Amino acid sequence: MSPSKELETELLSCLTQGKLPDHTFDELAQRIFSYQLEHNPAYQNYCSAKGISPEAVTYWNQIPALPTDAFKYPDTPVVSFPINQKSHTFLTSGTTSEMRGAHHFPSLALYEASIRHSWNELGLPECSCGIFLTQPPASTPSSSLSHMMGVLEPIIATRSAWILQQDGSLDTETLIRCVAEAQPIFLLGTALSFLQLFDNLTEPLALPEGSMAMETGGYKGSRRELEKAELYTLFADKLGLAENSIINEYSMTELSSQFYTHGIGNSHHGPPWTRIRVIDPRTGAESEQGMPGYLVVYDLANLHSVMAIQTQDIAIAHSDRSFTLIGRDPSALPRGCSRAADTQHPS
Amino acid sequence: MTCTQERIQLLTDASKHPVFAQFVGELSEDDLSSWLAAELGNANALDHFSPHENVQSKAIAPNHILHIVSGNTPHAAIQSLLRGLLLGSHNTIKIPSSGSPDLVSWIDSLPEQLSQLTITTDNLDSVDWAAADAVIAIGSDRTIESIQKRIQPHQTFIPHGHKLSIGIVTDASEEAASLAARDVSLYDQRGCLSLHAIYVDESDEGSALDFSRLLADAMEDFANHTPPEPLTVSEAGAIHNFRETTRFLAANNDDVGLLESSENLDWTVVYQSSPTLELSCLGRCVYVKPLPPNLDLLGPEARHLSTVALHPFEPATAEKLSHLPAHRICPLGQSQSPSLFWHHDGFAPLASLVRWKDIG
Repeated sequence: MSPSKELETELLSCLTQGKLPDHTFDELAQRIFSYQLEHNPAYQNYCSAKGISPEAVTYWNQIPALPTDAFKYPDTPVVSFPINQKSHTFLTSGTTSEMRGAHHFPSLALYEASIRHSWNELGLPECSCGIFLTQPPASTPSSSLSHMMGVLEPIIATRSAWILQQDGSLDTETLIRCVAEAQPIFLLGTALSFLQLFDNLTEPLALPEGSMAMETGGYKGSRRELEKAELYTLFADKLGLAENSIINEYSMTELSSQFYTHGIGNSHHGPPWTRIRVIDPRTGAESEQGMPGYLVVYDLANLHSVMAIQTQDIAIAHSDRSFTLIGRDPSALPRGCSRAADTQHPS
Repeated sequence: MTCTQERIQLLTDASKHPVFAQFVGELSEDDLSSWLAAELGNANALDHFSPHENVQSKAIAPNHILHIVSGNTPHAAIQSLLRGLLLGSHNTIKIPSSGSPDLVSWIDSLPEQLSQLTITTDNLDSVDWAAADAVIAIGSDRTIESIQKRIQPHQTFIPHGHKLSIGIVTDASEEAASLAARDVSLYDQRGCLSLHAIYVDESDEGSALDFSRLLADAMEDFANHTPPEPLTVSEAGAIHNFRETTRFLAANNDDVGLLESSENLDWTVVYQSSPTLELSCLGRCVYVKPLPPNLDLLGPEARHLSTVALHPFEPATAEKLSHLPAHRICPLGQSQSPSLFWHHDGFAPLASLVRWKDIG
């Protein structure tokens, strides 16, 4: 069995067990790091430029994290397998003029298993009907979000509907028909798609008891923004959903696992095959207890790319698998004179 | 309202205050009179009717100017307010949500006759909007766009949107590096006049790669005598991300090079063979690139150019660059110190605000 297959088989077993003690995580993380150094030339060169060899790493938290922007360069794909063996590629969102990050996979077995087991960690009951406010994976094959929704489809409900149309409109009639059946519904979409739904609803729609929602992804590509508390007030007003019936998912195209939280003000938790650190970029060291810094994610399910990812999100760490998300770093946006500084629209 | 000469005197006296002078420099009566004369025809154009060909004309200042300013640096806001004060207008300044303590300190340094012409607020109401004869907006293009939607037909609108500046070096010497380091480092690149990239003419013996090393040394020297302001987590994160992404590129590509201050985030120099102009993440991070034979290759970001700083500065060379979208071409080392007489983003700052009355 090839080293890649051996590691993948071992990881799949860990995902199924749902437990990964620290020493096992560390041992696996270091083996994956060595494997990625050997098979991922772009990452190998990056680590060499940082003066880091496998011998220099004695614990998982010393593994160099690659910035998400590194996924944006087609000439240096972030892959730990021969690129000609890729079977799937997910792209980050962006306009045609922007460079989009690409996460390549030789197979999606590990990726999909991570999605399923991350969800199972939540221990949620199955609903009667799943309503997706995204397009189905077949319509947007490069969207990791749509693909995740597709993997979740058979898990969350006995039947489902995808109500985001090709023209960008939402088929709210389908949702209204589901509500009329008085069985629990699970709604899943981006925060922006939920705003669109709320705009479409001319009067409140009381979801049946036991219904839930999962929102994710923020407001990418739009000019709309809303504080989370305001968004959740709309969930209550428009759909009758209490905040503890709403889940927020945090992940990104460059990762293979998901972090979830319930309601407002609670921390996100990752599955056992992940770890996080929050780094103060001024010092390069971990932020002090309770202080914000940059989120670094160690995701063993990223076997085929790079396991350690430096995000551009600011967070406060609570443990090595949980954090409070503060949000996207405003400095991560392109900026010049005035572009970043004036955050408030004139009233 | 005071007459023009009184306001000139008040501003001249005020400019002796160190806080005032820190942002504007010390002003003389001649400076301000000449400025008015250059823009309005004569220094008393706001007080009297003066001959204007076959009519008599008098400049009418806006009674009320609304300044909506950004928080990146106080300089643009202070220049905007200075213009309003010289014209004798009432000025309402919308302070950004992040605050602008330097701007507030500058206003506090004004004598009473001038400070009573200024009001600061962090929240504009409909009365503020309705009262404005002119609106000057400094901010992101998105902010400018949203402000523009509120402008009424009778209101003068002066927008200052997203801008950045570059340097062009045809003599890639240590002197050029030192001048470039000043233009990059001052105000930690927060202003429109801050250089994001230095283009090096390689047609003779110059080399952008070699110049990047000279610039790195000069950036270190500048940081030693003028260290950057302390960074927020967000600012430091942007620099860290910029460095690590560049490190990844440099490790995999000979066309990219990374030079950085050690043990801190004080400065970063990135050599790139691609001529495409890219935004720096700010915080004294600058690109060094070869000057392309065709400046169209600078790409779409060039349309936001404010200033091109040139070394050595020769008017004939500057004129050859005047087809660029930048409204100002100046000597390298002076990008952050525009003349009182400059046309800010192409606007004559006083003349754009006044209306005229004619007799005859």
